[in-house]
Amino acid sequence: MNAATTQEQRQSISEDDVTIIIGLEVHVQLDTKSKLFCGCSTEFGAPPNTQTCVVCTGAPGSLPVINQQALRLSIKTGLALNCEIARFTKWDRKNYFYPDLPKGYQISQFDKPICGLGYLDLFDQRDKSKTRRVVLERAHLEEDAGKSIHDESKQGGNSRIDLNRTGTPLLEIVTQPDMRSAAEARAFLNELKLILTYLEVSDCNMQQGNLRCDGNINLHIRVDGQQIATPIVEIKNMNSFRAAERALDYEAVRQLELWKQNGLTISDAPKQTRGWDAATQTTTLQREKEASADYRYFPDPDLIAVTLSEEEIDSIRSEIDRLPAQWREELIGQHGLKPYDADVMVGQGRGVIDYFLNVAEGCGNSKMAANWIGQEVLRFLNESEATIESYPITSTQMTELLTRVVGGELDQTRAKEVLEQMIEFQLEVQSAMDKLGIKPVDNQEIEALCQQLINENPQVIEQIKGGNAKAVGALIGKARKLNPNASPGLVKNTILKMVGG
Amino acid sequence: MDFSNLTATQCVNQFASGEVTATALVQSCLHQIQQNDPSLNSFIRTSDSALPIAQALDIKRAAGKPLGPLAGLPIAIKDGICTAGLKTTAGSRMLEEFVPVDDATTVKRLVEADAIVIGKTNMDEFAMGSSTEHSHFGISKNPWNHQYVPGGSSGGSASCVAAGLTPASIGSDTGGSIRQPASFCGVTGLKPTYGRVSRFGLIAFASSLDQIGPMARSAEDCALITSVISGHDPKDSTSAKNDIPDFLATLNQPLKGLRIGICKQHFEEGLDSEINDSVKAAIQVLKNLGAVITEISMPHTPYAVAAYYVIAPCEASSNLARFDGVRYTHRTEGVKDLAEMYCQTRAEGFGNEVKKRIMLGTYALSSGYYDAYYLKASKVRRMIKQDYDTAFESVDLILGPTTPTPAFQIGEHSQNPLAMYLADIYTVSANLSGVPAISIPCGISNRGLPIGLQLQARSFDEATLLQTAHQFQMETDWHTRRPNQ
Amino acid sequence: MSDSIDRETVEQVARLACIDLPASRVDETAKQLAEILEYVGQLEQVSLPDDVEPFFGATESVNAIRKDELSPSVARPDILSNAPDSDGEFYQVPPVF
Ligand SMILES: [Mg+2]
Ligand SMILES: [Zn+2]
Repeated sequence: MNAATTQEQRQSISEDDVTIIIGLEVHVQLDTKSKLFCGCSTEFGAPPNTQTCVVCTGAPGSLPVINQQALRLSIKTGLALNCEIARFTKWDRKNYFYPDLPKGYQISQFDKPICGLGYLDLFDQRDKSKTRRVVLERAHLEEDAGKSIHDESKQGGNSRIDLNRTGTPLLEIVTQPDMRSAAEARAFLNELKLILTYLEVSDCNMQQGNLRCDGNINLHIRVDGQQIATPIVEIKNMNSFRAAERALDYEAVRQLELWKQNGLTISDAPKQTRGWDAATQTTTLQREKEASADYRYFPDPDLIAVTLSEEEIDSIRSEIDRLPAQWREELIGQHGLKPYDADVMVGQGRGVIDYFLNVAEGCGNSKMAANWIGQEVLRFLNESEATIESYPITSTQMTELLTRVVGGELDQTRAKEVLEQMIEFQLEVQSAMDKLGIKPVDNQEIEALCQQLINENPQVIEQIKGGNAKAVGALIGKARKLNPNASPGLVKNTILKMVGG
Repeated sequence: MDFSNLTATQCVNQFASGEVTATALVQSCLHQIQQNDPSLNSFIRTSDSALPIAQALDIKRAAGKPLGPLAGLPIAIKDGICTAGLKTTAGSRMLEEFVPVDDATTVKRLVEADAIVIGKTNMDEFAMGSSTEHSHFGISKNPWNHQYVPGGSSGGSASCVAAGLTPASIGSDTGGSIRQPASFCGVTGLKPTYGRVSRFGLIAFASSLDQIGPMARSAEDCALITSVISGHDPKDSTSAKNDIPDFLATLNQPLKGLRIGICKQHFEEGLDSEINDSVKAAIQVLKNLGAVITEISMPHTPYAVAAYYVIAPCEASSNLARFDGVRYTHRTEGVKDLAEMYCQTRAEGFGNEVKKRIMLGTYALSSGYYDAYYLKASKVRRMIKQDYDTAFESVDLILGPTTPTPAFQIGEHSQNPLAMYLADIYTVSANLSGVPAISIPCGISNRGLPIGLQLQARSFDEATLLQTAHQFQMETDWHTRRPNQ
Repeated sequence: MSDSIDRETVEQVARLACIDLPASRVDETAKQLAEILEYVGQLEQVSLPDDVEPFFGATESVNAIRKDELSPSVARPDILSNAPDSDGEFYQVPPVF
């Protein structure tokens, strides 16, 4: 492995010879009221340095005390990610100097993380009927640092430090290098975020820094039967999933080009840290990992270990509701949704699923409910950037509407018009129907209408008589014009009956 | 009036009975400090609010309101312990201007018990030292002989009690920093069990070793103060939930049948012969009181100082990283960038001994050395603890000298820091294992310097320590000897 | 364990500890550190049982945990009052580069 290669060998490799190797480190801000080691609020957006105390500013003499909820949320996440949960976990100090790190060390976990090995299964991005497993190395709890605001003018002005965020609980989830493309990394991040959202352990708001990810990437290249690994690069600053995908894609290409030029392998060059620059859509060198990054981890003597009993872990496990993968299965298996539709619905979050379940049960037709929610509701939510909670039509109203469709009182097209009215004028189903003048049509009226159509369209009737029953379709539109309340199905059946005698 | 020979217990009793006012007690202390401290330098500063608080207390008593258990007691606080609104420097230039937002839990409990904080005492910078020669605020003197050190790091707290400036004080003990100066100055000093007294507000030197405790003129006084400052504190994760026994109630119980172990490793080479003689005489006193004396062995004792001088600097190197010129400390101005600001500030704000220990700890934790130093020392620490566990299967107390020699001269060890480190040889083990230990006066050397006796007990058995020390003090008068001033 | 420590190591340690060490003081510091390292080197002689667990803290109690409840933060003027440089809102530090 990693033998020297010639320029010629390097130029001759093809895309199939290259495997992209990606591992991710994701920092998730846990949704606690107070910080990890003190009672200051974790609320986002407060004026600078108004949510700090002696503990989170590292005042001399101050001491940390661990937040129980942060532990519980970590365990909950670990259980959902199939991790081994530690029965004994402890705290370590990671020592380095930075002005937004008040104590000169970060309280983290080194050798006894709260969550050990786990995994997350994803759809294979190349063949969605298959899944791929990403193994999770660990997930540990640690405190966040504060925020440094540097002088952007490059005039050498002071940096300003806000410690409001300092001490906010983070769960750092570390994967093994199991992802094979930037798209797969993005899929991992999406699924992870979905799980965290279902668990309600984090707001997962990337703008507010609730979710941050770093990527480690290099290439394995097959050259004349040998496997070569390029130097590992850690990419920081990927502040959206889309940015992560682009950065990793960019980096894979950059590494390949660089290797083709210089042939350097993992054993020739140290690990680099590069930052994703959204403006130029490139990665730029931040620093070489040299010996100076010596964090001198050691057990934090201000904190004592935490032990967890089976009962405590079981009680947290019992709080976990169904996760996205289980919901997909349920929607497909129990409600007859297509895998794609189930995935779309699950991707919208728990609120949409609950909405769907209410409507499906209420109207008695899962398939119809799925179609309506998949098309009408989600389209509305996407267009208006609303959430299901703020969607103007309650599941009860939707149920009532679809019940009428199921019962034949409304056809789908009419029902959509009713829905539009309900949304626009904030109406109940019946009022919207009244407004549209929709009322039941009795059989005599239908028969009269059909007779009129038969009389006025002799050619169509000939076709039907000639055995082409489908030709009746041409009359449905005309029926609508004459009486919009006439049910197309009823009109169709009546004409066929009258013509056929 | 001169109250400088009153014990803490006497102060509290006489105030409660109306024999003396708090104002008079505080005025007397402030007067003594004014007269004697310029040469002793046991205080870094006195508190401007001591007098108004005393006056308020007098009014409270006159009104017949209930009084706290330490009502009327003027008490000095080591300057490494935070006092809200009153500068707290840890003896360092780094914290020259630091004014804490909160009281340390210990201070809070003292204040709630109606004790009166009289001022802040001098100490080795960040408690790193055994002589109080390493303070940014000058050297403290031993009141028995100003050529000699008072010990350290709580040298100011020992010196002010010995000199009669205040009846009692609070110190902190990381490797002997209460007991060694108590022994050098002829006062009684208790290091409680690790976890017995909250560390919240104690500026950390080595978190797993630091413990706050009282220094006073008798074991009875220490019992009185310990019962106030002990107890679980939800702000300190390492503070213990154990019940607090009534330390005063058991003081007068006889010692008959008490099993005292004499650790043979405490009487090997390096022990001053006068100390040896005084300790042996003390053993006889306790024997006469009914104690049963047996010799025990604690084989890892000789390695305690080495383990301590790895573990304490490692923890300190991290604990002192927060002093970076950003939030609380001195900052060097006129620097070009952040890195320079850090390095200059830390070079200038810390004294040489502190810098040396930070570098030592940084080295011992750095990659490639962790196992050989920190991990190994922590394993040896386990063996030391096991020595105690074994010993306490057969004895109730361990008795020995507090220090190998009486107080040394100022500057005596300046060229030989290791010799100074060895002043802690008998005291560091209690910190490494967490057990409580007390130093009480048991003699005076030919040069007229006090000699101390150390008693160590099982974790959370301060009661037996205090009882034994009190019984000894009922039989002897070493603790009542005062330096000629 | 090494009981001697070279100039380069001392300089590296000073860098890690963020303490400015003038070149003129490196040798002296190396000597001082070496002296202590030599003394603590005696730990090497202690033979330990294979299964000995390190004792990191003076207490082996576990589970000091607080409820997730808010407690008041410190007023900003008070928290900033000890800072050598602030603008009333932020701590200020010299630029990183
Ligand atoms: Mg991290
Ligand atoms: Zn806080």
